[in-house]
Amino acid sequence: MTSRFRGGSGLVALVVLVGALGISSLVSRQGAVLGKGMYRVGVPPQGPAIHDSRFKTMTVASSPEYWLLDEKAIDVYIDGAQVVSRNDAKSIYAAGALKQYLEKQELARITDEYEIDRAFPLRVEVNYLPAADSFSMAQGPSLSELIEALRSTSSPTGVDSGTADTGTSQARRENYTDAAVREQIKEMQSDNRLPEVVLDFTSDREIIVPSLMSPPMPFSQVAVTFLYVLPVFFISIFFTSSFIDEKIDGRIAVLLSTPVTPFEIIVGKMLPHTAFSLASVVVITLLLKGNLPLAMAIFIPVILFIFAVYLIVPLVYRTFKDTTFVSMLAISVITSYLLFPPMFSGVSDLSYMSPLTLAVKMYRGEPFGLKEYLFSTVPMYFVFLLSAYVGSRILNEEYLMGFRPLYRKAAEAIYLAINRRHIYASITLLSLLLVPVVFMTQLAALALSFNIPMPYGLGGLLLAAAAIEEVAKSVGIATLLEKRIIGSARDVVVLSFLSAVGFLMAEKALLLISLSTVSQSALSAALFSSGMLFLVPLAAHFVFTALACLLTTRFGVRYYPLAILAGSIAHVLYNLAALGVIP
Amino acid sequence: MSAFFAIVKRELRSVTRDKTIMIAIMIQLFIVSFSSVIVTGLMSFYDPESILNVGFNARVGVIGDAGSPLVGFLRDGHLTVRTFSSPLDAESAFRAGRVDAVMLIPEDNGGGVNMQLFLPESESLSTMMLIILREPMKRYENYLREQRGVHLRYSNIQGKSPATYEFRYSFAIPILMFFPAFVAGSMVIDSISEELENHTLETLWAAPVSLNLIFGAKIAAALFLAVVQCTLWSMLLRFNGIQMQNQGLIVLLAVVIAALIAMGSALISTYFKDRERSQLVYSLFVSGSGGVSYFFDLSPVAVMTRYATGDYYTGMADMAIYFVLLLALLAVLPPAAKKLVTMKS
Repeated sequence: MTSRFRGGSGLVALVVLVGALGISSLVSRQGAVLGKGMYRVGVPPQGPAIHDSRFKTMTVASSPEYWLLDEKAIDVYIDGAQVVSRNDAKSIYAAGALKQYLEKQELARITDEYEIDRAFPLRVEVNYLPAADSFSMAQGPSLSELIEALRSTSSPTGVDSGTADTGTSQARRENYTDAAVREQIKEMQSDNRLPEVVLDFTSDREIIVPSLMSPPMPFSQVAVTFLYVLPVFFISIFFTSSFIDEKIDGRIAVLLSTPVTPFEIIVGKMLPHTAFSLASVVVITLLLKGNLPLAMAIFIPVILFIFAVYLIVPLVYRTFKDTTFVSMLAISVITSYLLFPPMFSGVSDLSYMSPLTLAVKMYRGEPFGLKEYLFSTVPMYFVFLLSAYVGSRILNEEYLMGFRPLYRKAAEAIYLAINRRHIYASITLLSLLLVPVVFMTQLAALALSFNIPMPYGLGGLLLAAAAIEEVAKSVGIATLLEKRIIGSARDVVVLSFLSAVGFLMAEKALLLISLSTVSQSALSAALFSSGMLFLVPLAAHFVFTALACLLTTRFGVRYYPLAILAGSIAHVLYNLAALGVIP
Repeated sequence: MSAFFAIVKRELRSVTRDKTIMIAIMIQLFIVSFSSVIVTGLMSFYDPESILNVGFNARVGVIGDAGSPLVGFLRDGHLTVRTFSSPLDAESAFRAGRVDAVMLIPEDNGGGVNMQLFLPESESLSTMMLIILREPMKRYENYLREQRGVHLRYSNIQGKSPATYEFRYSFAIPILMFFPAFVAGSMVIDSISEELENHTLETLWAAPVSLNLIFGAKIAAALFLAVVQCTLWSMLLRFNGIQMQNQGLIVLLAVVIAALIAMGSALISTYFKDRERSQLVYSLFVSGSGGVSYFFDLSPVAVMTRYATGDYYTGMADMAIYFVLLLALLAVLPPAAKKLVTMKS
């Protein structure tokens, strides 16, 4: 199978990357990337110069109050050591931005002017202890032991100052934390926040200087891990266009008439492309001096996941025209699913949803366990299996050439995916494999819900989350109903039960891994529990699915969306009751 | 004129029928909401006030110098402080979960002060504690500096962290306002190269419709959709409580840029006469010129940001250069397009 490297909408991936990098630098940077000249700063003649492209400096010779308060021509005014601002949003944020900038300048100034122990007198050594109520009381030194050890070593003088002569009290003693402080000053001054790829194994005791401490935002590491994903995007676009080309010039029909099975065609086409992707992972890891086996273990499922999505795109798309947009949509959804969780690594354990979090950990030199690994990669394999199976079922001429609305195409694909000799097993398996897709769609719904003001946004999200689950559980049954493979209420009830079992099995399996992974911190619960990972017992799942399917049986497939709505409303009410919102 | 509107209508119908435009709108909404969730979500995660607001009660145990000003700073930072006389007491309180962190505050004897901080191994909890402890520790650091005769200026400027504000005005608004222009360009390419590849353009042209009229109508249809999207985004932003100044200028700039891009893409597609290649060159061109424009003070994004924040000195004149470019393209496009279409690829 040949691989032709001719990309159509490959640049879209680049646009997304630029966007992602833009955001990361926006929050983490000190030197501006975006928002050039968005604030106007008034300075008196001979006032300080400001070297930050966000600020435009203007010399205000007289009556700064007039220009600041009445004319609003400037947003802030620097008057000696004072900074004057107005009471509106623009001015307050301008003052905030100026504060960040000036504080940094001041730190640089005192670093130059004073000795290190006067400029940075406070150093905080952080020691980590096993958490409260942990059973492993025995492991590691205890707090009191640590303190005793400290008292005995560091009270008279620094431990590791080689010339530690206790007598010379007049000469400034080199404090053993000075080296760490210098390191952090250098980091601050070097200013360029390029991704730090140095494998920085933090020791058990890290030293913090409060004014030099920055929040542990993982932007740069996330950007580095995204470097791995980018080539895979490009390669998978070539994979897609190789399908599209053959579809257009009719060669796929020729290929399908040979004794090669559709599955072999897919594997054959996929192999060279996945090999290239793997090679890119190897090259990047070697360039960044990362841990090769670990990187492979993390990125193989990611590669399979991306290829799974890109296998379905060319098989389902209809016209020439919507390829661009369909693949753009695929890229944005995949990118957000991969990139969004690792941004919260270290803050919420649900960030392990994305394998990139593991890669972030790897580059931070922090450990993670097998459970975390399974939690983030098993869904990727699920999606791949589902896509490879569905792909091999729908890879036939009639399906590829048919021009129908997208939802009809989807229904057709599901119908072809169901094995008519083993309907019961098929429906169970379908629900089971759809669970990761459900999670991903719910995550997308979560992001979209933020556009709607709060109470409505949350309500909409709860309904959407329930509707997504209900569709996943009932769509196979509805397709069978439409094709008149089944018709009796009894069949529908049995299939609904099996579908609920399949769905719950996968959901529980994921929960089982996640429950031990995810700590019950109030914050992560507040952000993430609002619609996902509900512990819904089997009976409830079954009732909602059966409701939607029976309504569809009674009134016909035309009313399937309404039936889903009914099932979802019941689901939401149940969820609210389970949460204790309604009695 | 009726032919013009007939073509416009035909274009709009083809876009709405294929639902392409719906996908495009979805993508824009998705990109912006995804990034805004990251920015605002992270901001609240790393903001001590919002952590304390959700009811997280941070308790810290103190050993050592209980009379240190740090204890007062901690209390000002809404932390619950418990003092312990011996490390063993502190340890048992920590083990029993009565305090979330333990600090060993040494006496200040001049020179560098090495303080010990004991945090739980749980990553999320220790991150939260560090974020909450940061401000009190910074205040104590400044206090120690003053003690040593070092004065840090500007440390008490009133102002809020600008990250969310900057994200909204320098990223979200420009992306929402210029993405429709990007979509317009790719629509024009799709539409023109489809006609070129299917040889329907000749038939259309043979009818008493000039090439200018056909292209003009296609571009007008794409611009109409761009205006619709921009208006939709303004409404969404207002609905979310994001104020934009100079609404008129903002939409005008967005349309002028969309017109520039759409006309440029008409040229590209008539030159290559092949959809795939045109789209590739087009996206290269757009991302390239977008990147280059960053270095100019009057780049569309920077001007858009200043319009939206209501900069005092930014007005109509700042987009004059784009009007000049538009006029130049208007003069060049008709003869060039005619030449390119008849030229064999």
